[in-house]
Amino acid sequence: MALHFGLFADAHTREPVGDSIRAWMQIAVHELSVCQALLIQVAEHACKQGAAAVVRITIECGPLSGVEPTLLKDAFAIMRLGGIAAAAELVVVPTVVRIECMECGGRTETRPNKLVCAACGGFRTRVIAGGELRLRSMEMRTLEPRPNDGRTRMVSG
Amino acid sequence: MCQVCGCAIDRAGEPVVLEVLEGLLAANDRTADHNRAHFDEHGVFVVNLMSSPGAGKTALLEATIVALRHRYRIAVIEGDLETDNDAVRIRAHGVPALQITTGTACHLDANLVHQALHALPLAGIDLLFIENVGNLVCPASFDLGQHRNVTLLSVTEGDDKPAKYPVIFRASDLVILSKTDLLWLMDDFDPRRAAAALRELGRGTPLIQTASRRTPAIGPWVEWLDRELAHHRAPRHVDVVQAQHAMARSGDTRVKA
Repeated sequence: MALHFGLFADAHTREPVGDSIRAWMQIAVHELSVCQALLIQVAEHACKQGAAAVVRITIECGPLSGVEPTLLKDAFAIMRLGGIAAAAELVVVPTVVRIECMECGGRTETRPNKLVCAACGGFRTRVIAGGELRLRSMEMRTLEPRPNDGRTRMVSG
Repeated sequence: MCQVCGCAIDRAGEPVVLEVLEGLLAANDRTADHNRAHFDEHGVFVVNLMSSPGAGKTALLEATIVALRHRYRIAVIEGDLETDNDAVRIRAHGVPALQITTGTACHLDANLVHQALHALPLAGIDLLFIENVGNLVCPASFDLGQHRNVTLLSVTEGDDKPAKYPVIFRASDLVILSKTDLLWLMDDFDPRRAAAALRELGRGTPLIQTASRRTPAIGPWVEWLDRELAHHRAPRHVDVVQAQHAMARSGDTRVKA
């Protein structure tokens, strides 16, 4: 089936939506590609769940993901139109950069261009948070009553 | 679950929440893994070359081809918004080059590389360079299926680039200071400041210097390639660089175990 996830494209054929938008907006930012991937992902989940509409999409986006939340929201405002998430709100949950020193094991909350250990000065660290770029959850409405497979929960109120 | 009687039915029209916890670029990463499997099957070592526009990626590749074409079978995938000028330059050295024009897209993605790799004689290639679109922001987010990331920083840019673009420089396995033959002219570029900014990114990424035009001086780069290629081909090797890279990105849930 052809399930619309946004302007000029559907999740089945995966025709590029970003190119049309880019041509129209005359911009080239990778947030368009990321937004396109997000909308395909959302449409696939919504389809599996038999959703009629997606009302809220919550993503986590860290400073080391290389994605700028403001630009992603701008892209989303346009690219969602005409699809199952056309009226959806995009909630971007920011995360902070945290590193763990590979020498002393110390953990530091820091900024993206200061990734050395604050405790021992060790310059080999592991990023334990701050690189997130993921779909946390989505809220949707269904057309028919459906058995709960344990993956969804009702929203109270 | 129904909140009236507790039955396992989601009522129609009522909002339900689905917990997903899935990387947004999961589809790209799957294609990148698929590309890597193709490359590994044919024993092709793949280097993704990134930099801002005009840092000298193509010039470095030309000098590299001259230095290495008698020892390795080399091919190049070129990514540009428009024109096949770079592919023409590479082909002039007798090396297969495939041009991907991205139109208005600011980076290559795994899908574009997948289309290109089926047009390349993979069985006859030892070393494949993917010259990404000149851009220090967007290419960093998209795995292509490469084995190593290399980023150029030319001395005609600012020596604080690693601090300004930490995502791409942290994703790099090697940083090349290019156009060092111009260093004597660039009195505001201090290689030590560039090295310090890179060091602040916490990966211990090596920094080497090259000059590609006139009298090419690319010795350290050729040695790095030799070493990495030998390391990659070593039987039952534990790929330390890849492991480090995975660790560096482990806070990044796009890469799922």
